[in-house]
Amino acid sequence: MIKNSNSADHVSPIHSSVEGRDNMSHMARNVRWALAIVALLYLPVVLTDRAIFGIPLSNAQLLNLSLTQINLMLIAMMGALSLNFLTGCAGLISIGHAALYAVGAMTAATAGTLWGWPFTLVLLAAGVTGASAGFLAGLPSLRVRGLYFVLSTMALHYIVMYAFLEYQFKFFDVVGIPFKNASLGSFELSTPLRWYGFLLLLTVLVFWGLRNTLRSREGQALTAMRDHELAATSLGVNVRTLRLKAFMLSSAIASVAGALYAYYLTNVTSESFGIGFAIEFIAMIIVGGMGSLGGSLVGAALWLLLPSIINLIASQANETTGLVHLVLVDHKAQLVQLIFGLLVVVLLIFAPDGLAGLSKQWQKRKRNTDSSASAHKGEA
Amino acid sequence: MSNMLDVLNLSVAYPGKGLALQDVSLSVPKGGIVALLGANGAGKTTLIRAVTGLLDLHHGTITSGHIQFKGQSVNGLPAHRLVRMGMGQVPEGRLVFKHLTVEENLRVGAAFLARSEIKQGLEIVYELFPRLRERHLQAAGWMSGGEQQMLALGRAMIGRPQLLLVDELSLGLAPLIVKDIYRQLRVIGEKLGTAILVVEQNARLALDFAESAYVMSNGRIAFSGNALEVANSPAMQESYLGDVQNQPPSEQAQS
Amino acid sequence: MLGQVLFGGLAVGSIYGLVALGFAVIFKGTEVFNFAQGMFVVCGAYLAVTAMSVLGLPFFAGAVFIVCAAALLGVLIHALLIQPLSGRPMLSVIMITIALCIVLRALIEMIFGSAGRPLSTPLPSGVITLGSLRISKLHLTAMLVSWVCMGGFGAFFRFTPIGLLMRATADGHEAAVVSGINVNLMNRLAWAIGSVLAAVGGLFLGQLQIVSTELESIGLLALPAVVIGGMQSIPGAIVGGLLVGLVEQLAASYVSPKSSDIFIYGLLLLILMFRPWGLFGQRELGRV
Repeated sequence: MIKNSNSADHVSPIHSSVEGRDNMSHMARNVRWALAIVALLYLPVVLTDRAIFGIPLSNAQLLNLSLTQINLMLIAMMGALSLNFLTGCAGLISIGHAALYAVGAMTAATAGTLWGWPFTLVLLAAGVTGASAGFLAGLPSLRVRGLYFVLSTMALHYIVMYAFLEYQFKFFDVVGIPFKNASLGSFELSTPLRWYGFLLLLTVLVFWGLRNTLRSREGQALTAMRDHELAATSLGVNVRTLRLKAFMLSSAIASVAGALYAYYLTNVTSESFGIGFAIEFIAMIIVGGMGSLGGSLVGAALWLLLPSIINLIASQANETTGLVHLVLVDHKAQLVQLIFGLLVVVLLIFAPDGLAGLSKQWQKRKRNTDSSASAHKGEA
Repeated sequence: MSNMLDVLNLSVAYPGKGLALQDVSLSVPKGGIVALLGANGAGKTTLIRAVTGLLDLHHGTITSGHIQFKGQSVNGLPAHRLVRMGMGQVPEGRLVFKHLTVEENLRVGAAFLARSEIKQGLEIVYELFPRLRERHLQAAGWMSGGEQQMLALGRAMIGRPQLLLVDELSLGLAPLIVKDIYRQLRVIGEKLGTAILVVEQNARLALDFAESAYVMSNGRIAFSGNALEVANSPAMQESYLGDVQNQPPSEQAQS
Repeated sequence: MLGQVLFGGLAVGSIYGLVALGFAVIFKGTEVFNFAQGMFVVCGAYLAVTAMSVLGLPFFAGAVFIVCAAALLGVLIHALLIQPLSGRPMLSVIMITIALCIVLRALIEMIFGSAGRPLSTPLPSGVITLGSLRISKLHLTAMLVSWVCMGGFGAFFRFTPIGLLMRATADGHEAAVVSGINVNLMNRLAWAIGSVLAAVGGLFLGQLQIVSTELESIGLLALPAVVIGGMQSIPGAIVGGLLVGLVEQLAASYVSPKSSDIFIYGLLLLILMFRPWGLFGQRELGRV
C-alpha cells in the first residue's frame, strides 16, 4: 500500500507535555547561548595559556591552533557569510570574492598606507569601494543570469587582479604592499588577543546584520527570487534592483574583510588573492550549507581546522616512509585540498544542503522520535 | 504470447501525489488497433509512460502489476531498450529534432538498421508521406504541426516496430490533417501488420479508427470493449461523443 | 613582426579552439558547463609526461595512450560526478566541476610534485623561414593537428550515424529517449570527446610552455573563447578560440606580457553585456 504524505503518522502529543517541552526548549536555548558566549570569551585564554581551567593542554590537543589562526578564521567567516548571502540566499553564483577582498586591500593601501587615514575610516572607505565595486560587478546581472553571470564574475576577478598587480608595482614594489599597525582611536590592535576581540565583534555584527536583512521584507523577497523568479516578479518584487542591492551589500562586507585581512597580514601581494582563494570560499559555503548563515560559519571553521588536523597527523607520521610519508608529510597542503574538494563533491551528491542541512534532518528525526516517545508516555 | 502488449493490474504512483494508476489492465493483440480514451488527468499519459519506459524521467514508480511486451516482462526497462525491442513511440507534442533535417530525423529512427534497410525504410516513409519527401532537407523545426506529426510518425515506424504507441496525435492539428494522418496510420497497421495503440482525447476519431477501446477515469479503466460497443454505450454517448448517432449513416460507415 | 605575432596568435588560437570545441561538445551534449575543462588540459599534459618520460613510450603509442586515458577520465567523471547530479539545479553542477578542479589539482601535485616539468616529445622543434617570417615548427604542427582534429570531429558529427545520434541528443533529451537513443551512452561519449580534445590541447600547450598545474589558467581560456564565439554554436567555439589566441598574442607583444588577461576577459565582459549569445550564436528566446 502506498503511504500518502498526509497519512496520520504522527500522533499529536497531549497538551501539557507540549507546553512543558516548550518551556524546556526555551531554557535550553538560553543556556546554550550563554555557554557559547562564555566559551567564546574563554577561548583566547585557553589558547594563550595553553591550558583549560588550569589543566595544561598539549599542542596536539589544541590542534596546534593559535589565536592568529582563529583570527584569520574570523575574517574568512565574514567572507563566507557575505558570499553565502549572495549565492546561497540571493542565488547569484560568484567567484569574484577574492577580487573583492583585493579591492578592500587596495583601498586600505591607498587610504591607510599612502594617505595615512585612521583605521576606522579606512574600513569605512573599504566598505564604500566594495559597495561601488559590487554595483559595477552586479550590472551584468541586469542583463544575464545564472551561467553567464558566473562568467562575468570570473572576468571581474581577472580584471581586478590585473589592476591590483599594476597598482602594486606602481605605488609599492614587488615584495608587496605593507600595512601599518591598526588602531581604533588610541586602542592599538597590537596583540592577537585585541584583534580577536575586535574581529569577534565584527563577525557577530555581520552575522546578525545579514540574518536580520534576510528576515526583513526585502530579504524574504530575495529568497523568493532565488527560488521562483517568475513568481517573485509577479508579486511586484523589483528583481533587478534587489539583486544589485544584494551584490552591493555582499561586496561591501567582503571588501571590509579584505582590508582587515591586509592589515592583519601586514603585507599582501597579488598572490594573496588568486582564483583559488575565491574557490575556497565557494567550497566553504557548500560544505556549510548554501543558504544557511550558520552553515557558513561551520564551513569557515572547517577550513581552518582541516589543515591543523592534517598537520597533527602528519607530525605523527614523520618517521614513516614511502607512500604514507609522501602523502602526509611532503604534500600536506595538497592533502588538505584533496580532502576539502572530495568533501564538497560528496556533500553535493549526497547532502546538497551541506552540513547545516544534515543537522536539520537529524534534529527533525530527533524531534519525531521525541514526540512519539512523549505521546506514548502521555498515553501510558 | 498471443498478445503484443499486456498490462496486468498495473498501479503507478508519483512521489507525494499518491496513486495515479490503480489496478489497470489492458491488452493489445498482435496487429490489433486499440484506442485509449479518457479525459485529461484520467491517467492515460501515466499509463503510456509506464509502458514506454519513460516513468523514471517523470519520477513515477510502478508499485504493483506487470507489463509484458511480446510475452516478455518489461517492468522498469529503460525506453531505449524497449524501442530496440520493437516498440515505436510517437510522443505527445511530437518531439522532433528541431535543428536536424527531416531526413536526419528519420535516420535517427533508423539508426540500428543495416544500411540497405535504411534506404528501404526512407522510401517507405516518403511514399506514405510525400510531403516529407518534398521537405526532406528542411530543418524540422520550421515545419507545420501536421508535417512534424508525420515526421514523428515516420521516425517511429521506420525501424519496423511491432507496436506503435501514438500519444495525442490530434492535439493542435486541423481536422483534415488529422484525418489524413489517421488514414496513413491505418495503412501502416494493415500493410505492415503493426499493432497500434492510440491515446486520444478526441474519442470519436479514435473509435472510428480502432478495433477495441479502453476508457479511463480517475486512474482506472472505467470500461472497455470493441470499438462499436464502446461508441454506442450510454456512458460514452453522454460524456464524450454527443451525437454520433445523429450523423448520416454514410459518414459513419466511411472510417 | 606583425605577421609573426598574428601567426603565433592563430597557432595558439587553434589549440584554444580545440579545447573550446571539447568544452562545447560537453555543453551541447549534456548541458553542463565544465569548469574543469582547464584541468582536463592539465591532465592531458601530465598524461603526456607519463607516456613520454615515465613510461618512455614511442610517440605513436604514447599518443594512443593519452587519447585512451583521457577518454577514460571523461567517462569516469561523467559516471561518478555528473550523472548523480542529473536533474539538479545548475548551481550544483557548476560547483561540482569547480570542486573537481580542486581535487584534480591536488592529486596531480601529489603524484608529480608542484614544480613544473619540461615535456620532451619527438614533435618537431626549430624554425622555418617563409619570406620574412620565422615560424616555429611546433606552432605549425600544433595548428595542423588542431585543425585536423577539429575537422575530423566535425566530420564525425555530421556524417557518421553516432555523430547524428549525438547531435540528436543535444537537440532534445526527451526526443532522443523516445527515439530509442541510449542517452546515457551519448553523454559519456560527449565527455570522453571533450576530455580527449582538451588532452590533445594539453599535449601541445605543455610542450610550448612547461607542464605544471599553472596550465589550468591557460586551459580555462576556453571558457571565454566559447562564450565569445557563441555557446550553442560549434563553429563559434572554434572561432572564439582563434580570437582569444590572437588577442592574447597581440596584447602580449604590443602592450605587456601580463596584459592579455584583461583584454580577453574585458572582451568577455563586453560580449556578456551586449551580445551574450556570442558572435556566432543565435539569440535564444527566453532566459539566457
